[in-house]
Amino acid sequence: MSTLSALAHVQAMETMQAVPRTEFRHRHLSGRPLVIVPLAMAGEAGAPLAAMVGSAKRNGTLLVVAQPRNRDQRFAFAADLGRIVMNYINSFRQNRRGEGERSRYTDAPQILVPNAGGVKALADLGRMCRFRATSGPYAVPDVVPEFGMWLTFLVDRAEQAGTSTLLPVTAMLTEHWATGQSTLEDQNLASLMAWIAPPPGLSVEQAMADAENPDVCPPAGPPTSPEFDNRDLAPAIRRFDTAHTLGDPHALAAAETELRELIAGQIQPTWRMVWQAISLLRSVPEAPRTAKRFEGDCKAFTKYSDYRDSDGPPQRKRDNAIGAARRLGWLEHALAEFESDMAFDDRFVLADRRSAGEAFAGTVVEADPGRVVTTDKNRRVPRPRVTVRTEDPVRLAADTKLISPSLPTGHKAMIVSVLSDGGTTRVTVEITGGMGRSRVPQQGTVPELGQRIAYLPDPGWRPAPQFPASDATPWTHSAADDSGTDSVIPEDAAAEEWGNED
Amino acid sequence: MKNPVDDRLDALRGSAKRLDYNARSLAALENNPRCTLRALLDASGSDKAAIATHVGHPPSFGQSSFAITRGNAFEAMVKDNGCAELLRVLRETLELTLPEVGYEDLNDVGGDGRSKQRHERTEEVLLRAARGEGDATLFDHPMLRLLIGGHKVYLEPDLVALRIDGRFHVVEIKSFPIIDDQADSTQVRAATTQACAYIIALRDLLGRAGIGEEAVSDTIVLVAPKDFTNRPTGAFVDARKQVAALTRQLSRIERIGDLVDLLPEDLTFDLDPTPDKNKQPRRPAEELAEALDQVLVTYRPDCLNHCEMAFYCRSRARAEASLDVLGPTVREQFGGIDTTTMVMGLARGELTPSEDQVEIAAALRHAARLRAELEDLGGAA
Ligand code: SF4
Repeated sequence: MSTLSALAHVQAMETMQAVPRTEFRHRHLSGRPLVIVPLAMAGEAGAPLAAMVGSAKRNGTLLVVAQPRNRDQRFAFAADLGRIVMNYINSFRQNRRGEGERSRYTDAPQILVPNAGGVKALADLGRMCRFRATSGPYAVPDVVPEFGMWLTFLVDRAEQAGTSTLLPVTAMLTEHWATGQSTLEDQNLASLMAWIAPPPGLSVEQAMADAENPDVCPPAGPPTSPEFDNRDLAPAIRRFDTAHTLGDPHALAAAETELRELIAGQIQPTWRMVWQAISLLRSVPEAPRTAKRFEGDCKAFTKYSDYRDSDGPPQRKRDNAIGAARRLGWLEHALAEFESDMAFDDRFVLADRRSAGEAFAGTVVEADPGRVVTTDKNRRVPRPRVTVRTEDPVRLAADTKLISPSLPTGHKAMIVSVLSDGGTTRVTVEITGGMGRSRVPQQGTVPELGQRIAYLPDPGWRPAPQFPASDATPWTHSAADDSGTDSVIPEDAAAEEWGNED
Repeated sequence: MKNPVDDRLDALRGSAKRLDYNARSLAALENNPRCTLRALLDASGSDKAAIATHVGHPPSFGQSSFAITRGNAFEAMVKDNGCAELLRVLRETLELTLPEVGYEDLNDVGGDGRSKQRHERTEEVLLRAARGEGDATLFDHPMLRLLIGGHKVYLEPDLVALRIDGRFHVVEIKSFPIIDDQADSTQVRAATTQACAYIIALRDLLGRAGIGEEAVSDTIVLVAPKDFTNRPTGAFVDARKQVAALTRQLSRIERIGDLVDLLPEDLTFDLDPTPDKNKQPRRPAEELAEALDQVLVTYRPDCLNHCEMAFYCRSRARAEASLDVLGPTVREQFGGIDTTTMVMGLARGELTPSEDQVEIAAALRHAARLRAELEDLGGAA
């Protein structure tokens, strides 16, 4: 964290209101996102209890599992949710642009969940569904494994910084606003919203207190509040079970209605809040480079979609060591690139990096614009040098490659030296690219004396990973696994039961 | 036998019944070992939840009955039929050779479920086993005892197994799943810390009979549901570091006397409950809060997950404009500064930095200038 970010939190705490930390929204926000609020049963991983899903605030569908421990009901739930989500995803598999290799869908789905726990719940659901067999003794509807594979794709992609196909709204909000509370409390959607947009007539303090009171603001899940579980849910499920055992259709219908109403009461406040957060986020202008990153989302979506069309096998359970290392390297690079994009677009983010010494801005106090050197290949090329005086606490070393948001795109430079000079720092840089093709740099590509410029490190360029990414490599195509348990389809897949069957 | 420190601790607690440490409060020790208030409340056996409630900040540590039912059902299943499933996991998943298996139920002693009796029985059985007598290898719910700050605390592990490579192993049966060989790290950590208390207590028991601590492994066996099934699988968890950490915290409690000495003579957290069965606190809440305020706390947001006093401590930290509210990552940026008032004062150049604040003050003024520039130019509102 930079001093500036930390200061933003302190400011928020002092003024009792959220402080903006970016100028823009750096995440693509679909005109038609699909919101899913998943609830799970306490103590049982992957025991879905309910979900509210829909692509508009006014038409959420509530799905409830009356007895979460019952395997058949879980699958019925997975199939119902799967159908809605697949309908949504398929609606983006319509319009393509470009030919052959370059052909891709022009839009991509975006699933929004309340918090990081929501992503985890979808990951569990994806893992639970993608290996299921659609024939044999434990057959599930076709949509179940398909849904599972898509969820896994979305969850994997969500790990990559800057993507937008699956996001928790808490993360989107904290990317833009700093609150006067801790990261832990920021994970509670209601607490976070209390700082950014407290309900009308309430102070931030009151809204924060309400946010932690499960009777006023039921938790955004996945787990429901223990009070609700013990006081309301457990007896209602018991009534449902009794009706079920007695085979009494009236009692069963009544018990089901009761359960739905109880759960609706828990889930709807979160549903409304997620949509409120979305409209808040919409009011923040989108950063210029977001469109470019969204292109990447469309590309990845197209590739996975084509892969599904070719009936490829599900993603493996776990990466092998090499695959995992490669993926980690890629994720790190994606993060560096995203951070650099943000700093490039957004003076708030740039200021943040400057305050951490990872970027600098200042005035050109010396310039040698005509400097020319001879390369190994005996070519004469322009290599102008300029010295920038800055008050920023520069922590970059010589030879760091730089890019600059203050100069035309393509501008590249390298640090020659960093010298401290009283209260300021003099950074000498050599311009290495972005000056055009001739021996004399094009007009405006070399900073001039007295000009104010900013520099930040160049995250470098890397080719996009070839699809399928290692995590999606079908086992038949990858190096032998070191253990048999890692194969893509577990032998006991069909027999994999879920929890107790009461 | 009472010593003066105990008397002081009793006075701190006042008329309420003494609450003992349990595996959970021991685990919480590890989370915030430096907090004086917590150390005093726990060492004196005070009822933190009641105190926090009385000063207007009731804790919210409810446990869902679903989680409890699930936990119990899973444990029962693992132990059914003489631990058949457990043995399968030990042999097949963890690839252990357990030649002969003898199961010893230590849940009660001929119908007597009292801790002391059960502990004596446990001691007898485990010592015999350690000396190679008897043929038991699995001990169900032994009752262990730990002396914490001079007080006996009884602890009850799910299971202790012997002769996994010739040593005692603590077996923790948990109902959170291990999915594709990975479990939630927070949950594993909590389970491990709990197991550490058992390891220490077990070593203590054997140690009293002159048996070295190597007789108890510091690797625990975690047994939990595999993937989304109800079938158990197992994993070894290395608890060495956490055993060392907990041992350190426990020795700090032994030195609680040093902390007590710093307190005002008449300090007490007594709620002065009515003598009837309702136990209504009669002590004015403000007075209790004043007593609490005399003790140092080191609030951190993580307390919200671990300590009954957290809402109280947080509101106190907020009232003091303490940077503790924002958590360690933010705090670290301001090395040595405690309050938002000080941060803002230095940032605005209204306060003169002390000698060791010069550097951070410069960074703050720089950040404040950047911030002002951003706000001047308008933009995000
Ligand atoms: S909540 Fe308060 S008493 Fe408990 S550990 Fe944290 S600071 Fe100490």
